[in-house]
Amino acid sequence: MRSISLILKQFSRSVLLIAGLAMMGSAAHAQGDAAKGKGIFTTSCASCHKLDKNGIGPALGPIVTSDTNDKWLTSWIHNSQALVAAGDPKAVAIYKQYNETPMPPFPQYSDADVADVLAYIRTGYAELQKPDNAQPPVVEEKGPSTMMVLGLALVVVLAFVIILVLNRVVGSLEKLVSKKDGTYTEQDELAAEVVKAERKAKVMALVMNKKFVFFVALVGFIVSFIWMWIALWRTNVHQGYQPVQPIKYSHELHAGVMKIDCQYCHSGAYKSKNASIPSLNVCMNCHNAVKTESPEIHKIYDALGYDPEKRTYDASKARPIQWVRIHNLPDLVYFNHSQHVKVGKIICQDCHGPVQTMKEVYQYSPLTMKWCIQCHRRTEVNTKGNAYYDKMFAVHEMIKKGEKVTAAAMGGLECGKCHY
Amino acid sequence: MDSNKKYWKGLEELNNTPEFVEKSRHEFAEPIPIEDVLSGSGLSAKTPRRDFLKALGFGVGAVTLAACTPVPVHKSIPYLIKPEEVTPGIANFYVSSFEGQPILVKTREGRPIKIEGNPNDVLTKGGISAQGQAAVLDLYNSGRLQQPMLGGDGSLSEASWDALDTYVTNQLNAIKAGGKKIRIVASTVYSPSTLGVINDFIVAYPTAKLVNYDSISYTGIIKANENSFGKAVVPSYKFDKADIIVSFGADFLGSWISGEEHTLQYVSNRNAKSLEEKRMSRHIQFESGMSLTGTNADTRIATKASDEGAALLSLYKELTGTALPGTKEVEDKRVANAIKLVAGELKAAQGKALVVCGSNDIATQILVNAINSVLGSYGTTIDLDNPNKKFAGNDQEFADLIREINAGEVDALFFLNANPAYDYYKQKEFTDALAKVKLKVSFADQLDETASLSTAVAPNHHFLESWGDAEVVEGYYSIIQPAINPVYNTRQAETSLMKWSANAVADYYTYVQNTWANTIFPKVGVSGKKAWETLLQSGFVKVAPKAPGVYTFAKDLASVAQTIVSQSAKIKAGADQVELVLYQNNGIGDGKRANNPWLQEMPDPVSKVTWANYAAVAEKFGKETLKVEEGDVVEITANGYTIAVPVLFQPGQAQGTVSLALGYGRTKSGKVGDGVGANAYPFYNYANGTFQAVSVASVKANGEKDPLAQTQTHHSYEGRSVIREATFVEYKKNAGAGVSEGEHKKDYNAESLWDEHERPVYNWVMAIDLNACTGCGACVVACTAENNIPVVGKAEVRRRREMHWIRIDRYYSFNDKDATANAEHGHEGGNGALTKEKEINKAFEEGHDMDNVSVVHQPMLCQHCDHAPCETVCPVLATIHSSEGLNHMAYNRCVGTRYCANNCPFKVRRFNWFNYWNDSRFENYLQNDYTQLVLNPDVTTRFRGVMEKCSMCIQRIQSGKLKAKMEKRPLRDGEIKMACEQTCTANAIVFGNKNDPNSAVSKALASERTYYVLEELNIQPGIGYQSKIRNINEKELSA
Repeated sequence: MRSISLILKQFSRSVLLIAGLAMMGSAAHAQGDAAKGKGIFTTSCASCHKLDKNGIGPALGPIVTSDTNDKWLTSWIHNSQALVAAGDPKAVAIYKQYNETPMPPFPQYSDADVADVLAYIRTGYAELQKPDNAQPPVVEEKGPSTMMVLGLALVVVLAFVIILVLNRVVGSLEKLVSKKDGTYTEQDELAAEVVKAERKAKVMALVMNKKFVFFVALVGFIVSFIWMWIALWRTNVHQGYQPVQPIKYSHELHAGVMKIDCQYCHSGAYKSKNASIPSLNVCMNCHNAVKTESPEIHKIYDALGYDPEKRTYDASKARPIQWVRIHNLPDLVYFNHSQHVKVGKIICQDCHGPVQTMKEVYQYSPLTMKWCIQCHRRTEVNTKGNAYYDKMFAVHEMIKKGEKVTAAAMGGLECGKCHY
Repeated sequence: MDSNKKYWKGLEELNNTPEFVEKSRHEFAEPIPIEDVLSGSGLSAKTPRRDFLKALGFGVGAVTLAACTPVPVHKSIPYLIKPEEVTPGIANFYVSSFEGQPILVKTREGRPIKIEGNPNDVLTKGGISAQGQAAVLDLYNSGRLQQPMLGGDGSLSEASWDALDTYVTNQLNAIKAGGKKIRIVASTVYSPSTLGVINDFIVAYPTAKLVNYDSISYTGIIKANENSFGKAVVPSYKFDKADIIVSFGADFLGSWISGEEHTLQYVSNRNAKSLEEKRMSRHIQFESGMSLTGTNADTRIATKASDEGAALLSLYKELTGTALPGTKEVEDKRVANAIKLVAGELKAAQGKALVVCGSNDIATQILVNAINSVLGSYGTTIDLDNPNKKFAGNDQEFADLIREINAGEVDALFFLNANPAYDYYKQKEFTDALAKVKLKVSFADQLDETASLSTAVAPNHHFLESWGDAEVVEGYYSIIQPAINPVYNTRQAETSLMKWSANAVADYYTYVQNTWANTIFPKVGVSGKKAWETLLQSGFVKVAPKAPGVYTFAKDLASVAQTIVSQSAKIKAGADQVELVLYQNNGIGDGKRANNPWLQEMPDPVSKVTWANYAAVAEKFGKETLKVEEGDVVEITANGYTIAVPVLFQPGQAQGTVSLALGYGRTKSGKVGDGVGANAYPFYNYANGTFQAVSVASVKANGEKDPLAQTQTHHSYEGRSVIREATFVEYKKNAGAGVSEGEHKKDYNAESLWDEHERPVYNWVMAIDLNACTGCGACVVACTAENNIPVVGKAEVRRRREMHWIRIDRYYSFNDKDATANAEHGHEGGNGALTKEKEINKAFEEGHDMDNVSVVHQPMLCQHCDHAPCETVCPVLATIHSSEGLNHMAYNRCVGTRYCANNCPFKVRRFNWFNYWNDSRFENYLQNDYTQLVLNPDVTTRFRGVMEKCSMCIQRIQSGKLKAKMEKRPLRDGEIKMACEQTCTANAIVFGNKNDPNSAVSKALASERTYYVLEELNIQPGIGYQSKIRNINEKELSA
């Protein structure tokens, strides 16, 4: 629900901002074009600065509003380190205040560009400060609670029971009425009983029919045998296993939409037996600036003991994130990612499926030995350009004969290749 | 001729005792009660059919229900902030050092799992001892102190470091004000930085002093060198420069000074390379008990400890022609003859000879110095100018310390890596004195015998958690760097000392860096940050050694000779007495690592006994004089102290002597080491200013029995011949001598039952040089660490259930001429086995000399036969052959029929009787959740009911191949090393690809000395052995 409120917040803010800018358009023009400035701000400043909040750099709104020395500000933006080096007292003070983190120089922007940016910051910040700009109270939208669902179900069941009972009552009443009317005679009653008895006899005949019983039993046996056969083969095969993870991380977004390479996060796949789940510092490469308000991202911050306001880490509050492992190979198997990814040049999707379309990851492959062996039988070894194979006399013999050099042909089906 | 020699592993095999015959007939050590269970019929049966069906039904139901549990959810927890150098799944190696020897520490995901020697190490070239291999396990000992302890005597309780610091500092200041003495008792400190910290401490507290206290002391050598040459040092011995080595009771390949270093030197004159150059040193050992070094000697003369002095005096006389006062011929004729022979050989090898002596007696060592001086050893085989710094203890000092305490002069004692309450010879005297000291601080990481009597315990880090350095040989500096963060709330001892003395340097890490920057780096001409970073990668620096000076002995020996004669008389046993000789074995050593289950379970290299010390006596002496049998418990009494230990009949033991290992009988070492064996330290004598390991004792049986957990005959070949040996003289004539010619060339594969396997790319094989192997057992522990081999404990070892994948078979054979003459028929296979047993028996009955035996060590592991008998009989194809010449074992396919083990002629397969790593019955051996962190994650732990065996470190082969593939290059020879091969200082094991004719292993196997064990069975083993060569004097043979 919070995400909806966040979207609302962001939406309303930008609408109001545009409205405000339009209103102030002529006024701001004398000092700079705020609309132009916004463009520059987004491309060059926004990765570190925000108007009203501290990012990597300080919140610019209050600073630029209170400081009207545009000339100094311009020279700071052009090259802050030069100012610091020149011993400008103000520059040195700021530099010290922000832990001596230097701001990169922006000499590419002209004085006019800088004026545009400053104008944008001032107007934008002023808009944000207006009292009527305060967030409209968002009514927390609540889904139906479990109690409610249960209550509804109970009502439905009760209604059904009542209907049934009422039906019966209506039937008896009708009987009584017709008896009173004299329309309901004893013959009718007898006839009804005969019908009942006939029905019973038919069923009995069927039950006593040996052929029929045998047929039913046979079908039952076959069905249950097939069911058991399938069930047993599927014992401990967890294809499709999709546990709930502690963070709603979407591979669809990161790998699919954003097209981030798998190995950016799973860097071990190239060099180690473990593809490895990324450590949180990898997440923080982007998420110290991207989507910093998302509650899911805040789970990362909490795990790290990171305070996004102060941008400080508190190791004492850190606690690791416990992901639920999806691909569980038993301990008796040795599997090495780098052998397959780096040497065999197999793409991740071959085993892990279309991860780039998975909102939540599930186990795509069965991970059974049969599955491994089938692949080892089919897959040709990528010997080209690898001097390791060049020296293998046997490999050359096979190529000469025109045989496929599969993993199996290289001993890839032997027990000791995976079990030790 | 020697291939006809008879080899036997133990007396039971030699004597063919009914128990031995019975035991070797059966698969299990204990009878299986099948008859009992299946007796009777119908309902009166012990196990009626109905009960069986009930149990079966219940079992099936229970298993089904148990299988219904949902699959457990596995969590995957990534790093929060991953250290840059860590990649999960890839090992990192850090250099460090173990007792001064440079090592590599293998860590996975931040936890050390294996220790390897540093291949660039000057002293051992990458080999490391069993103790070094096992040291990693100590890190995960859950019995380590987790907090500092504070309190009065006997009532220590956990405290904070602040409380401890306040207490110690206040006490120290009070003691300083009162002018009372402060003493730091430590095993020899050979770390420059630690020495610096202690010196700073002494500056802050001027009444403080460092007392070097070594449980095993070399004071005799130090004092003798001071007396003879004015140099109070333990010299560096150069066994590689010696053509003839004569040792009087010095176990120089094992426990004496620097066993690994000596092994590398020693083997360089006896390995394949030197043999090809027709060069081999000769080694003669005079000793009372059979030591590891004695088993390797070309000629070994069982000598009573009390005859040693006389023997040395005679040798001096033979060499110089001058008879010192008291010189007379040794009573024992064989010793007397041997001395004459040896003297001749030594004279001939002037400048290339070395005489060493294990005695700690100053006078004896002075005489040895004189002999070496006569032989011109100084400057060639003995180096006094680049001495060994590992042992600087002065026995007098500690005796003085106790006197000072009793005089009330000492108010504070610190114990650094020292445990005198266990290993001081007069424990009572020490503990009584200790009670008089106000401040007693121990740095022990466990509440050991001394720490538990202290007023404060400041637990030290394990060395894998520490910074530090060492200078084990002059000018050879190595660094200790941590491979893991401290696991518990411990603090490095040096840090504690710095804190208490308000050291100007903030922390010990900086202190170590300063030491290197200021004193060590300038010596090798490097400096700055770069030098430090290089050091953290290389592990050591070596200052160019000084040229060893030539020293000449020029002191008067008359008084020395008198001392020797009178001391020898003192240790001469009278009637009803024995000479008790104390020694250290290769695993437990001085007992500091007694709590290590890997070391306890490693069979002693000579006796193959695990989990105990014992009284080793000669069989004849035991049976005829002491009237005991093997396994009888005897009470040994000397110096007013008595212990009870079981008897072991040791071939080669001098008559009238009893050998007893030190290092056992710990009472507060932890749950593994407590109560294993009996403490032998109180049998030490203090004479002429040093501790002496020989005393006169009385021995009597107390009527009890305590069977030894001895592995020597657990795996029997039923008398088949598996050893080949020849003398050096024969070898020089014919390199293939001893390896029977016809047999070697015979085509056993003419008619074969088996299909041939294709090995197109690799054919992994191994070559083991019996002439290089000293039998030390480091490979056994290395294999245990690499392959997650469980420890099973004493009771299970008695049931023949030890799990080691590699064992070292030790074979005895008789040296007297009759022994070889008697047994004319070689290994004929078939019923030859039975005839052989009879012959051995006959040989014994004919009274062969049990004192004069020679020994061969043979490492035995899965031979990866090309025609593997185990593969043929497995009903479920759990063990099959690979296209790389290996015999694979798929644990998960194994159903535990044990057919393979029964059909294996080498008996190298091991069955998991229990789920050792997760069974509470085995937690005593540190197999608990915490200690499991030491497991190698690339090797599965095997479950109950599964067969296992040497996999030829297949995880190393696979990762070596993968590395080559990733780097897109062919596999290099020698790139993949087996765990056993890597740790072997003697380089006796070579592994590699036989398909490559240029590989080291192909070259090793091309040697004429190569033979395959039991090749007559046409099983085509993959491991070739090189025959043993003995450099026996021709005169000796004809004598």
